[in-house]
Amino acid sequence: MSASITLEELAELMKQAAGITVAPQDLEEQYDSAFDSLGLDSLGLLGIVGELENRHGTPMPPDAERCKTPRQFLDLVNSTLMAGA
Amino acid sequence: MNAPHVRRAAVTGIGVVAPNGTSTDAFWKATQEGVSILDRVTREGCEHLPLRVAGEVRSFDASAAVEERYLVQTDRFTHFAMAAADLALTDARLGQADVDGAPFSLGVVTAAGSGGGEFGQRELQRLWGKGSRFVGPYQSIAWFYAASTGQISIRRGFKGPCSVVAADEAGGLDALAHAARAVQRGTDAIMAGSTEAPLAPYSMVCQLGYEELSTAEDPARAYLPFTEGARGFVPAEGGAMLVVEEETRARERGVPVRAVIAGHAATFTGASRWELSRDGLAQAIRGALREARCAPEEVDVVFADALGVPEADRAEALAITDALGPHGRQVPVTAPKTGTGRGYCAAPVLDTAAAVLAMEHGLIPPTPNVFDICHDLDLVTGRARAAEPRTALVLSRGLMGSNSALVLRLAS
Repeated sequence: MSASITLEELAELMKQAAGITVAPQDLEEQYDSAFDSLGLDSLGLLGIVGELENRHGTPMPPDAERCKTPRQFLDLVNSTLMAGA
Repeated sequence: MNAPHVRRAAVTGIGVVAPNGTSTDAFWKATQEGVSILDRVTREGCEHLPLRVAGEVRSFDASAAVEERYLVQTDRFTHFAMAAADLALTDARLGQADVDGAPFSLGVVTAAGSGGGEFGQRELQRLWGKGSRFVGPYQSIAWFYAASTGQISIRRGFKGPCSVVAADEAGGLDALAHAARAVQRGTDAIMAGSTEAPLAPYSMVCQLGYEELSTAEDPARAYLPFTEGARGFVPAEGGAMLVVEEETRARERGVPVRAVIAGHAATFTGASRWELSRDGLAQAIRGALREARCAPEEVDVVFADALGVPEADRAEALAITDALGPHGRQVPVTAPKTGTGRGYCAAPVLDTAAAVLAMEHGLIPPTPNVFDICHDLDLVTGRARAAEPRTALVLSRGLMGSNSALVLRLAS
């Protein structure tokens, strides 16, 4: 599995964990929008963090579930995965 | 000085998702025709259980009724509630613009007996099958009895008084009464009712311990209250949501005032102590009539609890005559739920919907599958009876000992 999470993977996780359908290109356009405005609530983000931890077999920092935007989230998660690689 | 305006709570919208119909029209057609849809349980994972007959909602397409996020985040009982709430809003001609224009004047009240058992089972299977890291966060809210109130409030933007009644099956009536009181205190309208989804494996196993449950094999003979063949009740899923609205406001909006919630009372007499429910139910009826300022003779139809357990049926028949006097032996009594099963808290809400529709249509629906009554009651059997009911009494009892009565009146 790739060590880096892409926008495509985040979009897929949003659908799987919270039933939110967003096309990857729309996610890219709303890279700095709040997850709230994309329809993702805090439980949904928590579910995505849990799924990533299971997939990659590594814990995510506590701040991951507090990220407000896709950019913040992917930056934090990917730097965590890179550090662990 | 003018007399202060008395705020009355009216029913202005009815939304039904029931085993015998997933729209109010389909429900009423099947109800007044006395159709029984009781059938063998077909839900996956339930085939081997000793509960053979139930009232399943087979024609409900959740993905057509609610958004994908709610399919993932909530249980079937909440899908039913959202769908029924939407139908009730449409029926009451309340659009999203009306809600958004005055969000604090609209609230939600639901009752639930079973909660989100199917969702909970799936997550618990992940817990024991794969480990705690595989349990999704939505488990924390989806199984909960309060989920439907919260999710309807969030989905439609109702920010007025919201609550959940946990009061056993009779809580379905208590939720409607709670809504009526909120309207009397000043809220414009409340979305009120109950839906249940207790026909998944985990939820069914929970019910197997009820000695009142019918484990009969033959759908036509599984649920026969008030007869020598009474052998318990058949469970069901689905339910109804009603718009309970301040009467004057409804008239100002130009929508029909379908009925007025005129009186309610509730008592408690202990779990499975059916003999004692005679006094408890009679007291609830008296209290509801008192609040409605209704004489016993004015009651035109009774929607019975009809548990289908001999002691409980006897207690209910006696309670009706205890509270209504000689009129109790003459008033038409019906129990349409023998054709759909008994959906816990949702059952008396469906009865309330049927009572409003019966008054509107001048037709008392029959009690499907039931003949040869062995109690001193005028139970409507076979086919619907033409009548002009203007006052309806709805009764409900819970397996844990709650008894409630609700009086509905046609608006004059």
